[in-house]
Amino acid sequence: MAKFVISNNIRKLRFYNEEMTQQELAKRTGVTRQTIVAIENSKYSPTLELAFRIAEVFRTKVEDIFTYEIIEEKNKKEEDLK
Amino acid sequence: MYYQEKKTIASILSGVLVLVAYIMYGYSKYSEVGESLLGDLKFWATAMLVAIGGGIILIIFIQIIFHIILAIANEVSKEVSKKIAGENGKNTFEEFEIAETEDEMDKLIALKAMRNAFVVVGLGFVIALVTLYLEMAPAIMLNIMFMSFSLGSIFEGFSQLYYYRRGVSNG
Repeated sequence: MAKFVISNNIRKLRFYNEEMTQQELAKRTGVTRQTIVAIENSKYSPTLELAFRIAEVFRTKVEDIFTYEIIEEKNKKEEDLK
Repeated sequence: MYYQEKKTIASILSGVLVLVAYIMYGYSKYSEVGESLLGDLKFWATAMLVAIGGGIILIIFIQIIFHIILAIANEVSKEVSKKIAGENGKNTFEEFEIAETEDEMDKLIALKAMRNAFVVVGLGFVIALVTLYLEMAPAIMLNIMFMSFSLGSIFEGFSQLYYYRRGVSNG
């Protein structure tokens, strides 16, 4: 199975939403700040339920927050850009 | 360092203390009595039961101390953040309160760490069986089993720390 990476733009969304803190987002989604930090740093992939809760906080769709890329495709894109 | 990591370190510490105390007691008795102690299963069983009971009490004691220290740190942090933020500033005190709940990432890490611990216990069980096959004293088998449970518990703690630092995937 190909390796994949799930990235997100939660940090950017927090900034554009009145500079929401990680703590505030954690409180509104019912998790710890540690979990939000791990998600932002792509060290943890949230469950669907949490992903939807995050999307609800930012009033956007899940696919607008999280992106899924297969690593081979990502490397190819980076090479094309070079 | 987050609350869960600190709590895990406290658990590791208590596990290590119990294991070291048991090894020191067992070794001192063995040095005193000699090889005949290997035939005294009652002695080893008693020592292990005391270690288990003492370990439970020690874990509870360390957790109580840990929570007392955390409560004091919370109060100090609350006062400091109030003074820094002022009346109109944001209070960062909430961070400690919410961090004490266990969320989905904590549960996933706990499950993965427990799986790792089972591997250690399983290996210990196999080694214990090998000692019986080699016709070694049953006391050796008992000690290996006890050590594997203790080491499994400690390894579980280190696994948790590893996952908290390096991250964990759902797959």
